[in-house]
Amino acid sequence: MNEFLLEVKNLHKSFGHLKVLNGINLNVSQGETIVIIGPSGGGKSTFLRCINHLEDYQSGEIIFLGKKIDKHTSNLNEIRTKIGMVFQHFNLFPHMSVLENLILAPTKVKKISKEEAIQKAKLMLEKVGLSEKINAYPESLSGGQKQRVAIARALMMEPVLMLFDEPTSALDPELVGEVLAVMKDLARSGMTMIVVTHEMGFAKEVADRIVFIDKGVVVEEGPPDVIMKNPRNERTKSFLRHIL
Amino acid sequence: MEAISVVFTNLPFLLLGAWDTLKLTFFAVLIGLVLGTFIGMGRLSKIKFINIPSTVYVEFLRGTPLLVQISIVYFGLPQLGIQLQAYPAAIVALGLNSGAYIAEIVRAGIQSIPKGQYEAARSLGLTHWQTMRYIILPQAFKNILPALGNEFITLTKDSSLASVIGVTELMRRGQFVITRTFQTFSIYFGIALIYFIMTFTISRIVRYIEKRMAVA
Repeated sequence: MNEFLLEVKNLHKSFGHLKVLNGINLNVSQGETIVIIGPSGGGKSTFLRCINHLEDYQSGEIIFLGKKIDKHTSNLNEIRTKIGMVFQHFNLFPHMSVLENLILAPTKVKKISKEEAIQKAKLMLEKVGLSEKINAYPESLSGGQKQRVAIARALMMEPVLMLFDEPTSALDPELVGEVLAVMKDLARSGMTMIVVTHEMGFAKEVADRIVFIDKGVVVEEGPPDVIMKNPRNERTKSFLRHIL
Repeated sequence: MEAISVVFTNLPFLLLGAWDTLKLTFFAVLIGLVLGTFIGMGRLSKIKFINIPSTVYVEFLRGTPLLVQISIVYFGLPQLGIQLQAYPAAIVALGLNSGAYIAEIVRAGIQSIPKGQYEAARSLGLTHWQTMRYIILPQAFKNILPALGNEFITLTKDSSLASVIGVTELMRRGQFVITRTFQTFSIYFGIALIYFIMTFTISRIVRYIEKRMAVA
């Protein structure tokens, strides 16, 4: 029964009269890397934000680890610790050092000791190649460094699913590579990831599946070489023509 | 010449009043800060049961004269069986009043923090309260420090209204001196100077803290 890590069934979401999601269906298995592409305003980010319930939805189902996520979910905070999220604009806490950014949630939510959290933070920073920035404040970091810290911060909670909401869209072109490199490592390490991005090179290299979302529905999905070389749907074709 | 020397001979007596003014203001600000922080958050709550009383509180306390509020606390409450000495009554009235103004400052401060900060914290599993405590309020307070300094200064001046219920703060002591000496101009002017020295010092201290926090 429980073969999927995440199941999304017929998800509908609207902001007032504006319908954003019109029945999204998506199943994600353990260890999969899924890249979501599609035109802006098509509902990609909203979909991602529904998964960890930053947005409520009107109908449909989101089932994560066998449990429903909706506004009645009582242990939402606990579930959120298992779903890491990386934002377009990093959203590091500017009044805290890199170390403090990393250890806040583990010590306050998971209640692990400060010493243990610091050890772990050092390990994570090493992973993303920023050991020397441990005591720096976010404002002194480049965009690429900020995003790598944000990834490390999310990983501190040992999530089983990572959501990336256009993680490189706000970066200068020369800084995109360092963030993608970290994400590729993560995908290869077996992390389950859902990534909203326009980086088709990344999609081609690490995605198990590409999902094309437009007008609030999954228009087409499949392995990267199929979607990128032989899309069946006209809308997918025209979108790919524009970004490739 | 006598007009000036009367201020100096009575200076120790007046300065005791100034010290009371400072204490009165300090405790009132303390009450105002605690009250204002919670009511300010309440104003932003989506829960009507919290939002509406917070709004009513702010509107009522801002929309009625402080002198009337002091009178209600000191002269009015005893009729309901709550008897307060003049000094605590003044602290309570001033504190309740500044709570309303600080609530609005805190509300604006919270709203000045980008929504992404709240979302990042919540997506890490922090509760609403943890997010407020560790992420939103520390950043908000940094932003609203100048406005809080202003409120502190306003309250220092407004505390002179406590003289009407007999608190022997600066204004009241000045009036005592005047009834003895009849030197209305020089005493009132002397008091004004002492108030100014206090408020000016406070504004310098706030600016200093502001600068230090900007560096951090």
